[in-house]
Amino acid sequence: MNMLRQIWVASILNFKNLQQRSWQSLVIVVGTSCVIAVLLSMLSMTEGLYQSARKVGGPGLALVVSVGAQSEGQSSIPRDQSRIVMEAPGIARATDGSALADPQVIVGLSVLLRKNDGKSNVALLGIGPKGLMLRPELHIVAGRMFRPGRRELIVGVGAQGRFQNMAIGQNVILPDGEWPIVGSFATGDLQESALVGDNVTVMQAIRHTAFNSVLAKMESPDSLATFRHALTSNPALRVEAGWQRDWFVKSSADLFTVFDIIVYGVGVILAIGALFGCFNTMYAAVDARTTEIATLRALGFGGFAVAVSVLLESIVLSVAGAMIGAGYAWWRYDGVETGFNSNAFKLMVSPSMVGIALLWAVAIALLGGLLPSVRAARLSVAEALRPI
Amino acid sequence: MKYFPLVWAALRRKPTRTFVTLLSVTVAFTLFGLMIGFTATMDAIEQQVRADRVYSGARFGEFGGDGMPIAVVSRIAALPGVKSVSVMSYLIGYVQDPKNHAGVFMVDKQAQRVFSDWKITPQQWQKIQQNRIGVVMSRTQATLWQKKVGDTFTLIAPQVEKADGTRTWTFKVLDIGAEIPQAPGGYIFGNYDYFDKSLPLSHQGRVSEVDFIANDPAQAPVLAHRVDHIFANSATPTESQTEKMAYAVGNNFGGLDVNALTHEIALAGLAMILFLTANVITQSVRERLAEFAMLKTIGFSNSILVVLVMLEATTLCLLGAISGVGLAGWLASQLTSIMPPSFGLPLPAISTGVFMSAMLIALAMAFVSATLPTTRLLRMDIASILARKT
Repeated sequence: MNMLRQIWVASILNFKNLQQRSWQSLVIVVGTSCVIAVLLSMLSMTEGLYQSARKVGGPGLALVVSVGAQSEGQSSIPRDQSRIVMEAPGIARATDGSALADPQVIVGLSVLLRKNDGKSNVALLGIGPKGLMLRPELHIVAGRMFRPGRRELIVGVGAQGRFQNMAIGQNVILPDGEWPIVGSFATGDLQESALVGDNVTVMQAIRHTAFNSVLAKMESPDSLATFRHALTSNPALRVEAGWQRDWFVKSSADLFTVFDIIVYGVGVILAIGALFGCFNTMYAAVDARTTEIATLRALGFGGFAVAVSVLLESIVLSVAGAMIGAGYAWWRYDGVETGFNSNAFKLMVSPSMVGIALLWAVAIALLGGLLPSVRAARLSVAEALRPI
Repeated sequence: MKYFPLVWAALRRKPTRTFVTLLSVTVAFTLFGLMIGFTATMDAIEQQVRADRVYSGARFGEFGGDGMPIAVVSRIAALPGVKSVSVMSYLIGYVQDPKNHAGVFMVDKQAQRVFSDWKITPQQWQKIQQNRIGVVMSRTQATLWQKKVGDTFTLIAPQVEKADGTRTWTFKVLDIGAEIPQAPGGYIFGNYDYFDKSLPLSHQGRVSEVDFIANDPAQAPVLAHRVDHIFANSATPTESQTEKMAYAVGNNFGGLDVNALTHEIALAGLAMILFLTANVITQSVRERLAEFAMLKTIGFSNSILVVLVMLEATTLCLLGAISGVGLAGWLASQLTSIMPPSFGLPLPAISTGVFMSAMLIALAMAFVSATLPTTRLLRMDIASILARKT
């Protein structure tokens, strides 16, 4: 009898009498489903934020901030410096020959969350004439676009869902008075969390004298190096440039680290619990089937085949649990609108996360089932059959 | 107590199973301790923060942006109902590597009055005022940057240029202070006057924050509102709130419902392990049915058998809960070293309340896991069980 056939027969036998051990086997299913449900529910938050942030910044968009700035709000680029930045080599040109670059203002406004009246910030982004050309993904879904030079704002659909008083027609209070919201927009990414207005007008309103950042379209992916060199070698500037796409994740590295520590910390603790459960169950299963396993061995089945059949059983149960857990997380959280600080985004349970769930389930089953399977393989046939 | 040998024998019957069950209960309560311990810490902070302290900062701009003119202080101090006023400026930067975010709070001599409830001693506040380049840092921060009294602490602040054109700020560590609940990640306090006079002339005379104590806590929110009203049309509108509001859980954690989250996670862990312990006890009783039948024949009453099973489950659950909560306490103390320094996430604390609720839950868990097997015990037919065995 070849090995595969032995494993097959032994496993079939396992699953056939699984019914007699149904409650015990459920320990594995329940255990893994709890682990995976909690893990994926928490991961849906990081994944949602990450994916939403990674979509910001079309191909070739570079963001210039002042050296060492940990956020765009902290960065400050005076007007004269912004002009030098926008004339630097490497920036793509519009048909009229002007540089495809835009100085931006970004400021946090204190607002209330719709959810629990808690305090939060909403970002107010001021963009210039090239701002819309650099953001072809931005489209108006209701109302109209703000007019340059006017004290008007448009609001992202994400911000409307997350913060109070963001409807078209309502006013946002700035130091120089009330600014009406004249339209709402969508971008399909994290930018939807913000209010957008005219850069110079916003800057005057909040009485700032410098821009916060410059967004620039590179001629080609290779131009960033040239652009960077031009900026860093100019003694009049204290700025650094990088792909806009990487900016949020880079500037929020600490946040993602904390999320990861919490999510995987909790996940690992739960997984250890499930692993012990798995161990206990498989140990009891081997115990209960001593005679059966000894009989198989007496019939000529190899110890390895028996061991593998035990592991297979725990893997199948564990994976079933993982699927239940993943299904629950997906059903309850995928696509649910949420947010963190000023960021509005959707929770996300992606296929790759289900892949993670499967890996965890198999790992739990293998680690938990290993010792019991070894025990099954090393069972002394003579001793086990003696009572009969 | 005289039945303890019986319970002990039952637990020792399958030592591996008992040990592994104990470990899984431990794991569940470790998670419980971390999660509920975190909520407990947040509750404790909410209890300790003051309703009569008000923070006023510039309304627009991150970290107060360019801040506010120091003249704001005298306007606020002149308001009726304001007791003491102090200023604070933030110096934000990094230590050695831009990834190591750090910051120093620059305070004036009034800080001692406004923050008198903090565990920073009057001597420590005075040291900051007497030594211009001195700082007092909390134990957490001192450990983080590996500083002791007398050491030099260097902060690079790319956004804050000094009058001499450099952006490197060098301080001397004067003392290590006790932790305060308001700054879970620790603090570093420095001398405002030194900070201010080190800036280029055009940047001097500005503050990030004005903090004051109201005579009457009930009037504090009104005063906060008044301050904002006064400066609403100035060059630097303010945003003021009481400490109580600033530290309310609902206003923090980026708008996440942290309490619900921690409870759900703790519950998931407990539910998972409850299922396991219930199974283990059922199994253990089933294996020993003959023994129980024997005990009954020699005169043990039904209720004593029930007590025996209950005790077995309780021993497992209580022991697991104690070690789990203990492990949670240890893990919490290790969290500071793995969390990013700038984050200052409050650490879970195993308070008496957390410990007691863990014990109660362990008892409930034991009761639930033992209920099913005991009903089985009560219904057993002694004769047939003994007959089967022999």
